[in-house]
Amino acid sequence: MNFALSEDHLMLRQSARTFLEKEISLARVLVPGATVADADYEANWSKIAAMGWPGLVIDEAYDGLGLSCIDLAMILGEMARTLAPSPFLGTLFGAWAVQKGGSEAQKKALLPAVAAGSTKLALAVADASGAVDPPSHEATARKRGQSWGLTGAKSFVIDAAAADWLVVAAQEEGGNRAFFLLEANQPGVQVDLLPWRDVTRQVADVRLKDAVGERLAADDATLWPWLRDRVLFALATESAAGTQRVMEMTVDYAKERMAFGRPIGSYQAIKHSLADMLGQVECSNAATLYAAWALSENHARGSLAAAMAKAYTSDAYMAVSQRSIQIFGAIGFTWEMVNHLYFKRARANAELFGSARAQRARVIDMVERKAA
Amino acid sequence: MDFELPGEDHPKRQEIRAWFEANPHPSGLALAQAGFAVPHWPRPWGLEADAELQLIIDQEMKRAGVHVPRNPVAINNCAQSLLTHGTEAQRQHFLWPALSGEHTWCMLFSEPSGGSDLGNLRTVARLDGDHYVIKGHKIWTSLAHKAKVGVLVARTDPDQPKHKGLSEFLVDMDTPGIRVRPIIDMSAHENEYNEVFLEDVRIPADRLLGKEGEGWALCTTQLQTERVALSRPGAIWGHGPSARELVEGLAEIRALADGAIRDEAAQIFVEGEILRLLACRALSDRMNAKAPGPEGAIHKMLAAPHGQRVVDLAKRSQGARGMIAGEKPFPSQLAGDDPYDDWDYAFWFSQAVTLGVGTQEVLKNVVAERMLGLPRELDPTARLPWAEARRKQA
Repeated sequence: MNFALSEDHLMLRQSARTFLEKEISLARVLVPGATVADADYEANWSKIAAMGWPGLVIDEAYDGLGLSCIDLAMILGEMARTLAPSPFLGTLFGAWAVQKGGSEAQKKALLPAVAAGSTKLALAVADASGAVDPPSHEATARKRGQSWGLTGAKSFVIDAAAADWLVVAAQEEGGNRAFFLLEANQPGVQVDLLPWRDVTRQVADVRLKDAVGERLAADDATLWPWLRDRVLFALATESAAGTQRVMEMTVDYAKERMAFGRPIGSYQAIKHSLADMLGQVECSNAATLYAAWALSENHARGSLAAAMAKAYTSDAYMAVSQRSIQIFGAIGFTWEMVNHLYFKRARANAELFGSARAQRARVIDMVERKAA
Repeated sequence: MDFELPGEDHPKRQEIRAWFEANPHPSGLALAQAGFAVPHWPRPWGLEADAELQLIIDQEMKRAGVHVPRNPVAINNCAQSLLTHGTEAQRQHFLWPALSGEHTWCMLFSEPSGGSDLGNLRTVARLDGDHYVIKGHKIWTSLAHKAKVGVLVARTDPDQPKHKGLSEFLVDMDTPGIRVRPIIDMSAHENEYNEVFLEDVRIPADRLLGKEGEGWALCTTQLQTERVALSRPGAIWGHGPSARELVEGLAEIRALADGAIRDEAAQIFVEGEILRLLACRALSDRMNAKAPGPEGAIHKMLAAPHGQRVVDLAKRSQGARGMIAGEKPFPSQLAGDDPYDDWDYAFWFSQAVTLGVGTQEVLKNVVAERMLGLPRELDPTARLPWAEARRKQA
């Protein structure tokens, strides 16, 4: 029993922070009207790939680092702190899917290149309504000899436009859901960037018309719950780290900004708000680290922990990033400040893969089932 | 990092369990002498237990259906000060009866003139030969009506600034001149709180705890109710029902079929689970020999309103029936020995949890100032001699 982070984890986090603070700049995104095209996606990816981070959770057998979800949380959290725009998250989701669901041949063909940073992935699950569960009806897969033909639409696909390969959830004839591996660069695949408000992230629609793919070996029932837990944990980890960063910069500002002869942080209206933020940060961190541990251990409470973390951090990040803008005052509402970037990331993370409320519904279902 | 709690086969657990199997109905004194009243204390009072062993002991006592005597002021707050600041004679006289539950203690701290501004208290203790003579008025004193010993903070030097002129005393509650008046709170339950009037109460000078002028340091330490926060998830200061029991109860009466209640219950459940994790982390910090700091304040800042939400949703799930005195929300949940295990009482009492031991607003100041380094609240009276500050206010 030891609920504290180990020295190794603290060092890993510190080294990631040092690297990102030096290498990542949001300057181009902070020019009014900037879009994701200004977010230095490719340049950041080269730097991140050089650190070996694309292979963090890939098994050593496929040239990855074989690290745990706790290790991942250290680095992913730091990326979310700086909002470091890059195709890391999509590639991570795709790598998880292939590693858990792929055949030996599929893993051998793809994962070493992902770990090396030369191949990027994206995971396409949601339909146009954003729903990921129950499975979409908008993409279907038909068997064509050894391969499959996929037709339909997917939406809210993180990092799809950067991806070399897509992992797509679709229905087979007969209604079974499965995941399919598609090369992104083929005539049947069309990727359209969405005018996504969270401009530090690339999110796209994917349209498929007889696109050629292969089926991942694992059944949906094996792959999807495992994958969903990790996706939720990753989003929660990002949100928790972003919440902490926003709190810290708001506290710093409240100590410096003077009004009526005193720092605004000396007024209880501001001070109490910041104390509440710290409460939300502590809770967010506790929830995500617990999920990280539970998933690392394949613990029976892993799904519950991931859903709880996503539920809590979604609301907390939205609330804290909103309060931050208010405490900064009108300047916090301008494009050239970073506040809105966190506010937008908070709202996007909250909605993707199921809102806080949707996660709470899952939590209470799980608790009821266990009690029954 | 490892969130697994000590398992069934943990050798320490087996040792503790064996003790309770051999002593199924221990007296308060037997529990105290075995070190279970204050396991984290040094011997002979405790077992020098680390946080893990404390957790095991808590769990095994619960399993055996055994309770440490209800003497929270001594066990959680004040008696520990005798180890470092008391005399040997005080330790011998006061500690065993306190730990065994023979002598209930109370804290004579708050006064009518100001609750949160404790340092401004007006009760005076004047040295007269080999006695102190105490005169003043205390309020919100838990258990004063049952207590044998009162831990009193009083002003021994009015010419010092307010926090410097205070001293602490161990007072026999049956000393002539002490009058206790119960305060009936909104729950109409047996009183928790009292007013205590002290009219020329003469106590021997050797009842001074520590030195004159150390009273403020002693009472702020005693108010960090560190150990309570360690492991208990109950709605009322760690006692009484928890969010898990709320969800079980709501499922039992089929209230979770209502979508709004279902979502709110889930939200409270998630909060409750996270607060358990934070409590465990505080435990780990102790095990890793990190000194207790202001995290106690943030835990209470989060846990108190959470507890209110737990008992509030239970109450609302009853609809109009919730306004009938004593009506149980969840029929099959048995009340335990703790008075707060009664959902109805816990609800009406719960208004107190954001007031007692630091109001929510004061805790937010503590969190903001001590954990985030924000500027401290201005207190124009802090550095003035107390008597002068009082004249100016009058």
